[in-house]
Amino acid sequence: MKKIHHAGILLLLITLLLGAAALSRKNSQPSRFETRFFDSFDTVTTITGYAKSQEEFEEQTRLLQEKLTHYHRLFDIYHTYEGMNNLKSINDAAGKSPVSVDEEIIDLLKLGTEMYRKTNGKVNIAYGSVLSVWHEYRERGTADPANAQTPPEELIEEKSLHTDIAKVLIDEKQKTVFLEDAEMSLDVGSIGKGYAVQRLSEYAKELGMEHLLISVGGNVSAVGKKADNTPWRVGIENPDLESSVPYLGTVEIADQTIVTSGDYQRYYVVNGKRYCHIINPETGMPPEYVPSVSVLTKDSGMADALSTALFNMEISEGLELVESLPDTEALWVMKDGGVRCSSGFEFHEEK
Amino acid sequence: MKKNDVILIAVLLTAALAVFGGMALFSAKSTKDAEAVVYLEGEEQGRYPLDQDASVKIEAASGGYNILEIHGGKADITEASCPDKICVNHRPVNHQGESLVCLPNEVVVEIVNGGEPAMDTSTR
Amino acid sequence: MAKKTAYMGMFTALAFVFSYLEFLIPINLGIPGVKLGLANLVTIVVLYLMGVKEACILSFVRIVLNGFTFGNPAAMLYSLAGGFLSLLAMALSRKFKLFSVTGVSVLGGVFHNLGQILAAVLVVENAKLLYYFPVLVLSGTIAGTVIGILAAMVIKRLDKGMEYK
Repeated sequence: MKKIHHAGILLLLITLLLGAAALSRKNSQPSRFETRFFDSFDTVTTITGYAKSQEEFEEQTRLLQEKLTHYHRLFDIYHTYEGMNNLKSINDAAGKSPVSVDEEIIDLLKLGTEMYRKTNGKVNIAYGSVLSVWHEYRERGTADPANAQTPPEELIEEKSLHTDIAKVLIDEKQKTVFLEDAEMSLDVGSIGKGYAVQRLSEYAKELGMEHLLISVGGNVSAVGKKADNTPWRVGIENPDLESSVPYLGTVEIADQTIVTSGDYQRYYVVNGKRYCHIINPETGMPPEYVPSVSVLTKDSGMADALSTALFNMEISEGLELVESLPDTEALWVMKDGGVRCSSGFEFHEEK
Repeated sequence: MKKNDVILIAVLLTAALAVFGGMALFSAKSTKDAEAVVYLEGEEQGRYPLDQDASVKIEAASGGYNILEIHGGKADITEASCPDKICVNHRPVNHQGESLVCLPNEVVVEIVNGGEPAMDTSTR
Repeated sequence: MAKKTAYMGMFTALAFVFSYLEFLIPINLGIPGVKLGLANLVTIVVLYLMGVKEACILSFVRIVLNGFTFGNPAAMLYSLAGGFLSLLAMALSRKFKLFSVTGVSVLGGVFHNLGQILAAVLVVENAKLLYYFPVLVLSGTIAGTVIGILAAMVIKRLDKGMEYK
């Protein structure tokens, strides 16, 4: 019987030893982390991924954050930055001289021009002159809601004369951009964020990250799948903020992107009526077709532009456009709260 | 097999099933255990269980503030100094991973309860 | 002595083969850590017919062999923690003679899972893993019963034939 006693003590010791070994191996398994920052595109950026600790994850994503800030500055139309020609530099030189710019600005503007063509002008990066009027009225109306006003029609009409995208001259060889019309200006609000998110996803892959979810203000892009090899699940928010149903449903994405344009996030109220931040280039007014539309595809820049364009169209026209594009799907949330999807959109409705 | 063996097996099975069933019941109540975590400029400021009503004033570094109300198992920002009021207009949240964000004050209120989130992010 | 060594070698090989068998044909119930534990059959037989020390050596050798052959260091760590806690429980419960082979085996199964999960909690530093425990008690009890009944049959037959005493 003494033998057993000894054996018991031996086993206990070994178990303790193993415990100590386990302690020394702590944090060896990657787990899921999230990091958040506020310094870009006037919105909150959330990056979800896997690392051994929060510190390690923030270390890994720091480069992404820096990159995003870089794009934010590059595409900024309100501020200039030391040692950098950005979109404001181009706007400031409108009608005067070409501005030499970073290759990525050229790239972005080319995408903008291409999307203008593909969407019959429903999304226009040269629409800055009109958008800036709305921007001004919205800022004032938000600060002083009692005296909120919409811009006068004549002003919008006058500004609309200076929105010809053909007058954005891109010289790819010299790497310069010139706005021929002194009154015109660029505003890439409908595309810049998406372009930046796309570049960020590609950069993350270059850095060796295999499972990452980037959301810049709801502009979502997935690098790979989750660590357990299941796709990322993205909720589609209910545009009806009064409703008790926060999400209409979910969609699964892997190496894909989903971008939503809606009228319920950024808007201001004039005489009890909502005016959202998206302006239809055809009417100079916020469109009223649907509360929100989401685009699911491979390229986030394209998704961003397309969701804005679809927001500016009738559903039927949008459906036709989406079905003509490869690997591209869309989901419309209609005024009655119903949902309409393009043929290949796998939507999991919330029950 | 002895009688003791049978008793042992029966006790273990019942105990495991009872705890298992209890846990299933426990986790079915989604607001149980859930907390609202307040972040200010990315730093965690506090945690508030959703099953206890509370009213918290979050003081932002800029001098602004947000009032977080926890009521009926949900977290809601009912008042804020920010101009856009997006956080105030947002509906109350109570699901895992949902959040209330006030950009001007850099305040984030996020719901956590440790379970696998129903979704990883959302688009708007 | 030589006979004893031969028996030990044979049992170790058998345990190793059983582990391999389970590795080849995993009974996947969707929950990691839930398995029959065929190798434990050999451990129990050795525990009853040869003694605690022998069972201990056998377990250790089997787990290390297994770990290097099909597993990774983390899995081996879990197995070691589980294996030894299980043996401890079986040796003690056998000593107090409260249970027959089946009861001992059930305790072994349950404590094996407990050891694994404790090691896992320490490694991933997540106490939430303990939520898992009831499932593993359940599976440990069932697997332990099956293995115990089998072991009792084997012991009954081998006890007569083995000539090591």
